Amino acid sequence: MLVGARGLVLGTIALVGLWAAWELGLDPRDLIPGSGGLALAGELFSRAFSPAWTYESAVPEGTVPLPLKALEAARVTVMLAAAALGLSVVVGLFLGLAASTATWVGSAHGGRCAWGRCLNVTSPAIYGVSRVFIALLRSVHELIWAVLFLAAFGVGQFSAVLAIAIPYSGTLAKVFSEMLDEAPRDAAEALRSAGASPAQIFLFGLLPQALPDMTAYAFYRFECALRSSAVLGFFGYPTLGYYLAASFENLHYGEVWTYLYTLLGLVLLADAWSGALRRRLVPGGVR
Amino acid sequence: MTDSERISGRAEAVHRLHAARPRSRFARWSGIAFVGLVAVAWTSPALRPGDFLSPRRLANLRRFLGELVPYPLQQGEGENAARVAVAWSLDMLGDKGWSAAGTSLALSVAAIVLVGALAAVCMLVAARTLATPEPYVESPRTPSRLRQRAWRALAAGTRAVLVFLRSIPEYIWAFLLLAILGPGVWPLVLALALHNLGILGKLDAEVVENLDPAPMAALRGLGAGRLQIATAAILPLSLPRLLLFFFYRWETCVREATVLGMLGVVSLGYWIVDSRARNHYDEMFFFVLLGAALVLLGDLLSAVARTLVRRAS
Repeated sequence: MLVGARGLVLGTIALVGLWAAWELGLDPRDLIPGSGGLALAGELFSRAFSPAWTYESAVPEGTVPLPLKALEAARVTVMLAAAALGLSVVVGLFLGLAASTATWVGSAHGGRCAWGRCLNVTSPAIYGVSRVFIALLRSVHELIWAVLFLAAFGVGQFSAVLAIAIPYSGTLAKVFSEMLDEAPRDAAEALRSAGASPAQIFLFGLLPQALPDMTAYAFYRFECALRSSAVLGFFGYPTLGYYLAASFENLHYGEVWTYLYTLLGLVLLADAWSGALRRRLVPGGVR
Repeated sequence: MTDSERISGRAEAVHRLHAARPRSRFARWSGIAFVGLVAVAWTSPALRPGDFLSPRRLANLRRFLGELVPYPLQQGEGENAARVAVAWSLDMLGDKGWSAAGTSLALSVAAIVLVGALAAVCMLVAARTLATPEPYVESPRTPSRLRQRAWRALAAGTRAVLVFLRSIPEYIWAFLLLAILGPGVWPLVLALALHNLGILGKLDAEVVENLDPAPMAALRGLGAGRLQIATAAILPLSLPRLLLFFFYRWETCVREATVLGMLGVVSLGYWIVDSRARNHYDEMFFFVLLGAALVLLGDLLSAVARTLVRRAS
């Protein structure tokens, strides 16, 4: 019986995969690049072990050296990601609170004062509305926000920050609320039976239990924000993606690898940082 | 015991608990460093948040918002506005919407199924419990140094490749692959697949490493080979968790699939950029909303699938 269920699940997934391949007209023969593509791939990957240290074409006098330019692009990438994530963490924290069932534990019986009674009536509404709002925030990709902002306002670094921050706020809020929901409730229950206010229950009963997971997750999202910030360069912001695309279009493949390795370095640094933090904060945690 | 004694005893217990709470200087400094980084980023002169809402930009915004309204409505169809809007939307759906949404969905599905299969292979090579000369049970003869090193290098090498794959975003993979393979669907499927293989391969390998080793050790004791252990114990035991991660990654694949079309294959992203280039902002907004609907649908399906998996396991 169990084997049958497993087979059914895997078989369904395979069938849906075949439908997708048919719908897209995927043909394995198209995987072999044409002669032009093959030559390009050869040129591109032959430079993987020799990224450029100097520009591959003549540059005007006084241009900053390539490594410095890559570092400057990396700095902008980090700054946009940090600004966006800082905003997302604040927004995500408040939204995540509103969308967590655990938050409303305190108000469930707290009808002693007018404020408590008011919360009793409104909390299901706040909870529901914030869940829907979070789903909506997450549903539009940061690159689509970037295109919208470019159309509405023109280029400006602040719009890049907002483009990243909007969907990231939604994701952080969703995961924060799940973490608050999954945190052990006994401390919160004890505080409630001792007569603590909803704010006290939340601050001293719930938040400390979920905080390590939430911190580790926020740092993981920083790594994702770095990638998003780099890709926003393709839309004209001065992050790594901008220079990478320009070098690629000028056939300067060594420079492409310089920028790729800079991005790789940034992501690895962020990964090492969040990994070290996770090991200290979340013993035995996988994700 | 008097009340006051009980209370002071409790206070002491609370104090002990408080003193024993997990603390980490590294975590504290990480927090401080991050807040500092955010502060520097927000005060950077290039950011200029105030400039964002300058009068000129607000005027731009007002004009832009007006142009998001379907074109026939902009022409003034005051009385039957709703009917005109619905007719316009159905036109858009029939013309490009359905097929673009279908392509985006198919892109995400094709990529994640490919990734699921590849990751199930990668995890076996990357899991340090299996990629060793003596998996699960020590062999009577100590394996040679060379064999130990070879297995360790295989696992470490696979992991390094996975790290590289996931460090490069889908969009950049797609950009590079489109140049190599030429315009078509494969570059986008592969771009989604490469980045997500890096993530799913790592997560799946961790699932394998965290399995209870007893069943595998029993099989090994009976003389089973690695492949037999993998098919008879590791795959069935890890399947529920693999499926959870599979659907979680599919969700993000749907999101990414809506934008990869911006690089030039007919999916939602393509029409978003195309209608923007033609200054048809009403059409652009329509495709943005359609993409959002698709992502919400993906989230919903993934949540249902994951609940089913959790309940069944």
